Amino acid sequence: MNVGMLYSRIRKDEKLLLSELRDRGHEVTKIDVRKQRFDIEDAPEKFEGLDVVLDRCLATSRSLYVTRFAGAYGVPVVNSPDTAEVCADKVKNSLALKGAGIPTPNTDVAFTKDAAMETIEEFGYPCVLKPVIGSWGRLMAKIDGRSAAEAILEHKATLGHYEHKVFYVQEFVEKPGRDIRVLATDGEPVAAMARSSDHWLTNAAKGAETAEFELDDEARALVERASDAVGGGLLGVDLMETGVDEDPSSARRTESDGDSYTVHEVNHTVEFKTLNDTTDVDVPGAVVDWLEARAERAQGKEVTAR
Amino acid sequence: MAECVECGADVDLHDDLEAGEIVDCTTCGAELELTDTNPPVLQKAPELEEDWGE
Repeated sequence: MNVGMLYSRIRKDEKLLLSELRDRGHEVTKIDVRKQRFDIEDAPEKFEGLDVVLDRCLATSRSLYVTRFAGAYGVPVVNSPDTAEVCADKVKNSLALKGAGIPTPNTDVAFTKDAAMETIEEFGYPCVLKPVIGSWGRLMAKIDGRSAAEAILEHKATLGHYEHKVFYVQEFVEKPGRDIRVLATDGEPVAAMARSSDHWLTNAAKGAETAEFELDDEARALVERASDAVGGGLLGVDLMETGVDEDPSSARRTESDGDSYTVHEVNHTVEFKTLNDTTDVDVPGAVVDWLEARAERAQGKEVTAR
Repeated sequence: MAECVECGADVDLHDDLEAGEIVDCTTCGAELELTDTNPPVLQKAPELEEDWGE
């Protein structure tokens, strides 16, 4: 098959995928979106002959538009523009999860400092203020008291882009020093890892320690439902354990550890290099397996190497 | 081998580098993007944008 890869930076994740695709004999068309112009009717030359397009854009804004263009050109795109739209925005993400009845942290959105302050006071301290668009744990604020809340709201209202005036306030979840990242293809987990840190942020990008995590049936079911809630695809589903004593030394959740999870986020241009280093699973291999099947379904034919 | 656009030093490049990859100049520490592979061309890498991520 001929796979188009939309990118503006080749990270280790993209390199792993490129290697896997080429090793299997597939044709790969790298498309640097910075060099393209997108007509509202005719696809750029680079799109000709593609069986599927894989969106690996680093910039969310580009990802949102370019997947929409690919859809308009009639080229199957992973992930779909609708999935991207839901996952890219924390408000839409939370609404989708809640709407599907999936446990997710209590969240309020307010459009003014005063309304946001009311929400924060209602949640109590600590609570969390997040940007609606953003990743890697950047610009996240754990608010420990009213003075901090006032200062952060003032800064966001004064200095930020208009999106920072959409105040996304969330309860602080007492997690056991770690959260869980699951890479899933259409709801089927490929591999999972626990991300542990002494810091309240446990993003791998923030330097959290990682360990392979064995999903139980409850987590598997939540991953499948969360994937469905955002439209499916190649996704990174983030969960936190609730009601669990803090014990970062344990990377495996047992039946006695707690009774449930909460899903705080689903990511649509998921990075997996750390997961691939953490687990014995061949993550890029599994992703390409899925991509082949996806392209085959989309084309209604058998996918072969060229 | 390519030249660092920041300090002019020679930068060693692996054979399997892809256009779009980032390399660090070991002399000045600049983040450089390989914008072409044949011949290799390095440019200063873009600064981190607020909407970058996953």
